[in-house]
Amino acid sequence: MVRPVRSVLVFGSLAAGFLALAPLAVDPYLLHILILVLMSAVMALSWDLLVRTGQLSLAHAGFFGLGAYASALSCNLLGASWWMSFIAAGMAGGAAALALGIITLRLHGMYFAIATLAFAEVLRTVTLQAKFTGGAVGVTLPAIFGGNRVEAYYLVAVIFVLCLAVSLGLQKSRWGLAFQAIRARQAVAEVIGIDTVKTKLAAFVISSVFPSLMGAFYIHYVTYIIPYEAFSLNTSVSALVMSVFGGIYTTAGPVIGAVVLKILEEYLKSAIVYGYTVIYGLILALVILFMPNGLLGVIRRAAGSGRADQILRWFGGRKRAGVSD
Amino acid sequence: MEVFFQALVNGMLRSGLYALTSIGLALSVGVLKIVNFAHGEFLMLGAYLGVFLFVFFGVDPLLSLPLAALALFALGAAVYRCTIRHVLGAPEINQMLLTFGISVFIQNMALILWTGDPRAINCVYRSVTLHLGGVNAGMGRFITFTIAFLMIVVLYLVLTRTRTGKAMRAVSQSRDGAGLVGIRVQKVYLYTFGLSAALAGMAGVMLSMVLYAQPAVGLEFTLKAFCIVVMAGLGNIGGVIWASLLLGVAESLVGTYLPHGSGWSEGVFFILILAVLVFRSRGVGQWFAQ
Repeated sequence: MVRPVRSVLVFGSLAAGFLALAPLAVDPYLLHILILVLMSAVMALSWDLLVRTGQLSLAHAGFFGLGAYASALSCNLLGASWWMSFIAAGMAGGAAALALGIITLRLHGMYFAIATLAFAEVLRTVTLQAKFTGGAVGVTLPAIFGGNRVEAYYLVAVIFVLCLAVSLGLQKSRWGLAFQAIRARQAVAEVIGIDTVKTKLAAFVISSVFPSLMGAFYIHYVTYIIPYEAFSLNTSVSALVMSVFGGIYTTAGPVIGAVVLKILEEYLKSAIVYGYTVIYGLILALVILFMPNGLLGVIRRAAGSGRADQILRWFGGRKRAGVSD
Repeated sequence: MEVFFQALVNGMLRSGLYALTSIGLALSVGVLKIVNFAHGEFLMLGAYLGVFLFVFFGVDPLLSLPLAALALFALGAAVYRCTIRHVLGAPEINQMLLTFGISVFIQNMALILWTGDPRAINCVYRSVTLHLGGVNAGMGRFITFTIAFLMIVVLYLVLTRTRTGKAMRAVSQSRDGAGLVGIRVQKVYLYTFGLSAALAGMAGVMLSMVLYAQPAVGLEFTLKAFCIVVMAGLGNIGGVIWASLLLGVAESLVGTYLPHGSGWSEGVFFILILAVLVFRSRGVGQWFAQ
């Protein structure tokens, strides 16, 4: 166990150094891309937190939009400062997840997936219809930190590190084992004394606070949002495809998936303006059919029992084959 | 009072399309036990097929119906054979992710190929209005309603009177049991998925006759069909009719009586889903009591 620990320390400090120093070395456009990549990583990783309990959420876009609107409206209507509006966004997302979860998480996973998809769509309907949200026109805010991109980068980097810590912490704790047990067989998990509903509910709330924070960050960073963009299904699609592509039930997988696919997406957006999401649909179907453990699964198989494997196993959770259990 | 009856009739007419879409979904969920997020995309493809047949060949939408049914049956069977079949034994989450991926793929492919502009069939059924004792009904909607319920009767007969239909019901009750008595489960799954897609395709043709075809229209119908299937209870085909009527009439009433109602009526299905789920999860009270 000594060697992997050292490798992880080396790898971790290299990554931390890169994260901390990146804004000094790259030009503003690349910094913008880096911010988008970190946002995607938070979205994908937080989506994965819930999947570990075996539940499919299609509501990430809903929480993203909810966070964006909660933060913008608390600034514009209540005069909150930026950090207060972030807290408001996180609380709004958490509360909504709690309410939706209490109703749906007791039932079969299918109902949860359907209800979450409907939830995101209905939030858009409500935002378009309600008076105080600005309707189809959307909302605007002054840019955060006076438009200083480097400070904005550090803010999103801090949230990313927080999400990473939560993910690793959950994985190494009793919670991670409880998640795994529920995913493998819920009835057995109940028999061994896990309160499955409360565990799933906790996972859902944690997993929903992060996209809400990202929504709050997005509106502050881009300064403008409309309901069709805030609650776009593409937000949920990209988060889950990045996670599945990298390798679900792990911490490294969603992050790797976000880095690869977000850069690919930025390239594709300039090539195909409408419908670039087609690539996400294709990747999702192909990954499920041919490599259900994602990129990480492929790397692990290729690496065999080598050192790279040990590092990945350390970063990636307890079990080698996560998906098929 | 006249307004009320008009709203009631509008809602009932609207429910025909919902019923036809949902019955296909109820069939595939009931027999395959797989949630098909791409169901609405089959409907969307049927709608485009209807539009293209009308625009390029002048085919009457009523004649396109059997063509769309055949085309979508073939597509559904192909999708089953190439993808769904391979995840039958996988964890449920993989199955849902797969159909969701297929849905995203088809929807965005349509967006790339045919753009996001709505297209419609401008046939004669659109412009004729029927007057029945102070209540008006569009000819197209009336035909849609009639055909939808005719198709449901046909499906009922297929399920109760034919060997294939009985095999479908047997498989939906017990996959292993059906296999033991010699039913070819794989073949039944293939037929069921194809039939489910064909029903969605027919609903699509009629959608382009009364409303329009557009790449994103599938998602709306997937969600509403789920709402109806959840209300009816899984695998309960008869319940689909009542649930469709309930959704259609509720939407129509909200649209008529609420200010800016036509926008709000798009949210009715979610309230219904939540109401049913609250009703189903009897543990909610307990959870608060703890």
